[in-house]
Amino acid sequence: MSYHRPDALTDALALLAAGSPTILAGGTDLYPATSAQELRGDILDITGIAALRGITDAAGEIRIGAATRWSDLVAADLPDAFDALKLSAREVGSVQIQNAGTLGGNICNASPAADGVPPLLILDAAVELVSAAGHRRLPLAEFITGNRATRLKPGEIVSAVLVPKAATAGRSHFLKLGARKYLVISIAMVAARLEEDAGVIRSAALSIGSCSAVAVRLPAVERALIGQSVADFDIPADLVGQALSPIDDIRADAHYRAEAAVELLTRTIKGVVP
Amino acid sequence: MSKVSMVVGGSESTADVVSMTVNGKAVAKAVEGRTLLVDFLREDLNLTGTHVGCDTSQCGACVVHVNGKSVKSCTMLAAQADGAEVRTIEGMADGADLHPIQKAFNTHHGLQCGFCTPGMIMTAADMIARHGGNLDEATVRAELEGNICRCTGYHNIVKSILAANAEMHGASAAAE
Ligand SMILES: Cc1cc2nc3c(=O)[nH]c(=O)nc-3n(C[C@H](O)[C@H](O)[C@H](O)COP(=O)(O)OP(=O)(O)OC[C@H]3O[C@@H](n4cnc5c(N)ncnc54)[C@H](O)[C@@H]3O)c2cc1C
Ligand code: FES
Ligand code: FES
Repeated sequence: MSYHRPDALTDALALLAAGSPTILAGGTDLYPATSAQELRGDILDITGIAALRGITDAAGEIRIGAATRWSDLVAADLPDAFDALKLSAREVGSVQIQNAGTLGGNICNASPAADGVPPLLILDAAVELVSAAGHRRLPLAEFITGNRATRLKPGEIVSAVLVPKAATAGRSHFLKLGARKYLVISIAMVAARLEEDAGVIRSAALSIGSCSAVAVRLPAVERALIGQSVADFDIPADLVGQALSPIDDIRADAHYRAEAAVELLTRTIKGVVP
Repeated sequence: MSKVSMVVGGSESTADVVSMTVNGKAVAKAVEGRTLLVDFLREDLNLTGTHVGCDTSQCGACVVHVNGKSVKSCTMLAAQADGAEVRTIEGMADGADLHPIQKAFNTHHGLQCGFCTPGMIMTAADMIARHGGNLDEATVRAELEGNICRCTGYHNIVKSILAANAEMHGASAAAE
């Protein structure tokens, strides 16, 4: 086994091109998943690369480095539209996990229960991928393809998550449903972003996670909300059901999830405009 | 033992020595790349106050501070802490004088078997430092999320942390 922690992105990309080391960021998914009790094979630790950390505001978009830790996100000065993302950050494990775990790791691990994904979907986030051959971008919604499956190619690193300024209007909220209050894997989580005008919903962006293999946006429900009152709105349950293919697992069955999704959506929207 | 190479930073030289400051003392040791920080502390430095209570990063018995932030040392390689400042439970007391948090756990019976205590105290220290005196019971309970105790029912742990906070920040109202 060899362990590498380069300072420069180019060195990391060269190492990736030369072999197939496992990328390590905060390790909070990687270590618990290592049932062999020790990491095998070569490790490429990307947390020494300054270019992959931090949040910058440039050229019509907000750029969040992939190795930005959850606790850095919580402390960052960001528009209200990012409140859902910050709330999700506080729900990822505990303080110690937030001090190590990264946004990029959450996305690449691609768990259906990844709390960071719905808040990024309502921000129309894109993922930037780099390799020794160059870089490309994909909408987050296309990057994650299934349970633990992404479009990451060998040799690539996720370098950043990009949020277009156009998607940073309005305010947002995030709620997570688990079997208990703390240190819990989501049964369902909802992120909502609304723009309102004198109490009337002008636009809505909604996303549900953990109710299908990949978190989804709910375009039909979003449309149905436009023109409704923020204080008194109706969520068409059939439209929610159609958008989800709720999963049955150890944490909850599909029927429970479908009902919980509607209730959680209602509470989250109410939370946007308290 | 298999040969392990570590390349840290820009340097091209193959090194298998990890160096860091632990409780104020510089240490440097050759370790295998796969060595977890918690094993480095316990096995190589004989600092056995940091415990291991699970293999899922959940229990928090292994919490230490790395560059001033609380992390789970079972979820980090020793090599990842190369160059860092690490503080463990052994670095809390000042000689024979216990740290105020340790004293508070003693006074308020914040432990039974004591297995979770080192992690609880390191988490408490981070919590008290970050909230600068403005710590209430709800916050303490919420922030103990990453530390599991199977003996006390948490009540006296919360009491101990609030008492230590009051002591360290000179607040008048002691926890009751
Ligand atoms: C006790 C505990 C509780 C948790 N609770 C939650 C929770 O409530 N909600 C939640 O969503 N998650 C939770 N997690 C999971 C985990 O903390 C998060 O998913 C975290 O964001 C993962 O980030 P990381 O940097 O630690 O990833 P790592 O473990 O370092 O990496 C995860 C995966 O992504 C790959 N990877 C990482 N970064 C990149 C990159 N930039 N480019 C390409 N590939 C990359 C790695 O190779 C690996 O396969 C919990 C974990 C623990 C241990
Ligand atoms: S040993 Fe349980 S969290 Fe580290
Ligand atoms: S005192 Fe025994 S586990 Fe906490």
